[in-house]
Amino acid sequence: MTTPNNASPACATEITLKDLNTENPRWCPGCGDFGILNALKHFIVERQLKPESIVNVSGIGCSGRAPNYLNTYGVHSIHGRAITVATGLSLTRPDLSVFIHSGDGDSMSIGGNHLVHGINKNFNCVFLMYDNEIYALTKNQTSPTTRKDHPTSTQPFGSVLNALNPLTVALGLGASFVASTADWMPDHLGNTIKAAYDHPGFAFVHICQRCVHFDPTNFDLKSSSWYTFLKHANGIAPDNRLASKTETLEHDPADIVTAFKFAGAERRYFGLFYQDKNKPRYDEALRGITAKATKKDRSTLLDPYLI
Amino acid sequence: MAIEKRSVTRFELLMDAGFGAQKSGDILLSAFVAMGKYVYVEPMIPAEISPLPRSKPALSGVIIRLADFDITNIGNNSDLTIAAHEIILSRRLDDGEYNPQGIFLLDTGDREKNPESYEAVLKRCAKDGLNVITFDMDEASKAILQSIGGKGQNIFYLGMLSYIYNMDEDIVKNEIEKTFGKKLKPDVMEKNIGLYHNGYQLAKGLDLLRYQIDSTPREGDKILIDGNTALSLGVIDAGFKLFSGYPITPASSVMHTLARELPAYGGHVHQAEDEIAAIGAAIGAYFGGTPSITATSGPGLSLKQEFIGFAQAAEIPIVILDVQRGGPSTGMPTKTEQSDLLAAAFGSHGDHTKIVISVANVIDCFYAPHVARYLTEKLRLPVFIMSDFQTANSYKVISKPRLVQLNNVNDIPDFVLERFHLKRLPENIEMVLTLQSIPGTPGGMRRVTGLTTDIQGHVSTFSKASQRSHEVRNEKLHHVQRALTAPEIFGADTNDLLIVGWGSTRGAIEEAVGLAQKQGLKVSGLHLRIVYPLPLMLKEVLSRFKKVMSVEVAYGDALKPSPLALLLRSEALVDIQPLMAQATGRPVRPKVIVERVKEVLK
Ligand code: SF4
Repeated sequence: MTTPNNASPACATEITLKDLNTENPRWCPGCGDFGILNALKHFIVERQLKPESIVNVSGIGCSGRAPNYLNTYGVHSIHGRAITVATGLSLTRPDLSVFIHSGDGDSMSIGGNHLVHGINKNFNCVFLMYDNEIYALTKNQTSPTTRKDHPTSTQPFGSVLNALNPLTVALGLGASFVASTADWMPDHLGNTIKAAYDHPGFAFVHICQRCVHFDPTNFDLKSSSWYTFLKHANGIAPDNRLASKTETLEHDPADIVTAFKFAGAERRYFGLFYQDKNKPRYDEALRGITAKATKKDRSTLLDPYLI
Repeated sequence: MAIEKRSVTRFELLMDAGFGAQKSGDILLSAFVAMGKYVYVEPMIPAEISPLPRSKPALSGVIIRLADFDITNIGNNSDLTIAAHEIILSRRLDDGEYNPQGIFLLDTGDREKNPESYEAVLKRCAKDGLNVITFDMDEASKAILQSIGGKGQNIFYLGMLSYIYNMDEDIVKNEIEKTFGKKLKPDVMEKNIGLYHNGYQLAKGLDLLRYQIDSTPREGDKILIDGNTALSLGVIDAGFKLFSGYPITPASSVMHTLARELPAYGGHVHQAEDEIAAIGAAIGAYFGGTPSITATSGPGLSLKQEFIGFAQAAEIPIVILDVQRGGPSTGMPTKTEQSDLLAAAFGSHGDHTKIVISVANVIDCFYAPHVARYLTEKLRLPVFIMSDFQTANSYKVISKPRLVQLNNVNDIPDFVLERFHLKRLPENIEMVLTLQSIPGTPGGMRRVTGLTTDIQGHVSTFSKASQRSHEVRNEKLHHVQRALTAPEIFGADTNDLLIVGWGSTRGAIEEAVGLAQKQGLKVSGLHLRIVYPLPLMLKEVLSRFKKVMSVEVAYGDALKPSPLALLLRSEALVDIQPLMAQATGRPVRPKVIVERVKEVLK
């Protein structure tokens, strides 16, 4: 299709953090989303990725606003469906870097079906799951990842179900890359984005994200004793600031059995749970079919139907 | 017996699903075409894969209209019917699409399975004065059937039809071999040919009336094609590079054809996890600059609505093919209806700025994708292509359409736009967002959102931004209204009665007006291809007729206007009643239209 000629000229100079700014984000002060946005910006600058070659795709919710705050291409789509939009982009434009921003309600509830098939299709993208364990933008309703007994505006006597565990869900679906991190550990978050970006396929990144407005006490930032970093030569390095304050454990990301054990545990683990770089990719497979097809010319399109 | 010359006739073959009625239809069609006849074929397909044999839902059949001139629709009543057993015969009698003077050939091979049922159906026919001729396959044929696994009646019936329609046996045998040649072992093929001969001889022995339809020499290249195949090839010719769909009857065959064909032309077919994902991927790809189309039917349209609304707001081009079927809900997946018109034009929540193109025949199917792509890329609004079960599955011989091989939409030829009564749109059309670059364009970075934005794309809930966005989107629609030329009229420009329709009723309306005029009835016809928005001069056009009535394959009655009538009433302030608003799942018939016209003009 045609490209209108109203784009401003490319800047040949180095990309800086400032180049990535659009407007002031409209998140609550202290929201964990800022940490994720900043980590992504730092990553883009560190790698000097061209902003025009990046598309941020999101659904609805506080997380859904993220693409609006990054001076790249972006599609702030509809609730739960970011993965579908990203599938079409990743399939037809392998030259682009596709990041998906999706909350716990967006990806685990209304968009659950697409998460199943995004993971299964293993198309190339970085999937950032902003898990604040609550519906925030719609004002404090129970989400699939809300902890049991936590009162919300829809379940004021306490959430009635056990929380769905995004990590075991992703592992169970056969995700080729499953990592967990948190918005308040920039070093670990940054390294996780790096590893996810370098992964060929659907990189599932779970991020514990603080909703300071509706659930300020959910994650205890004063202590580190409630979580463990996973480390390995093929994994993600523990956070440079927090590693010394808590335990770290060796975990080989090729080991799916132990990955399930950590993912399903009561305790929180941050790091790379599992990675398989060889899982077939849907986008690659479809492009392969087209590449291998014996080319036909449209001038003879109707000839097989001649009588 | 004598051979009677006819200009046009219609017959049908009724069998249980899984016994090859459709295959026989394909062979007949190819053979008739090879003999220089004009043919219009409508398959009757059951909603289930393997329904219980000898039950009403098991009906799998084919209706063939045969003529010595170019025909535009499946016509009126069948002059001849072959039924494999009494139950499907009685089911088709219920539809009332037979010529009361016609012939019914009933196979009594199943009689001993339920003699009472046979008697009851024969009695019913006798009561209605129908000419039923029963027959039983000869013993030799029964033996052949048994030796090849019990299936082959379709070839036997093919033999009977070959005799009745005075077909060139070599041509038919050649088509049988072309159809089965590779799949059947030589001895099985020989047995099938045996069945064909025996059927031919049996019909001869029954001393049946035979029909002769003159052959017409054809000029230029001709192709034989059905609606969904024509549409699929149109998608390729129009330069679409992604088809994104989810299996749903009767749209699926477009996905099947493109899955085979599109990769050879550099494109992809994406089978999504659901209807929503199918349109989501197409919208994502179009945002990335790849011309993309999704297709659906019935329930799928409901599921896609939120994304259709999003595409309007985010100004991402998207083309949606809707092959309509019986509704509401799951309705009748293998029957035709035109009841999605309002859901297409006004379906998603909030304001609606969409364009709805319809197809009247297989040639329209080929060119609709070009027009849809032109409109969606120029306007960045969703564009619907509305087909239906009938158009999708009807086979026809047409002059080979001129290929366009479209790359840049600005190069769309005038003849394609004119076919849809459209002029070229203005060069610079204002968008809600000034910047409309595609990813990869340096310096052109932009974000789109379903939220209301200002001209720069910043999310805005300020009153001015909202009102402006609405005005800009609606002005795009008005560009289409201004580009629409006067719709197609059959008959006089002013008259006592005007019958209006859209999409697949065109052929029946055109033929009905022709028949009615011969009877001196003061009626004209009007057909809309682009059905939303409507052309600006429509009110003036309609005002030239004393009475305006719609013909639709959708429900309506005296207290509730059918969809097109409702739309035209609101847009043109004309008191339009439905002349025919039927939701039987069957196409409208020209003669029935004429009868209704007579009643109205009385
Ligand atoms: S409501 Fe919660 S998640 Fe949303 S912006 Fe405020 S702090 Fe962040």
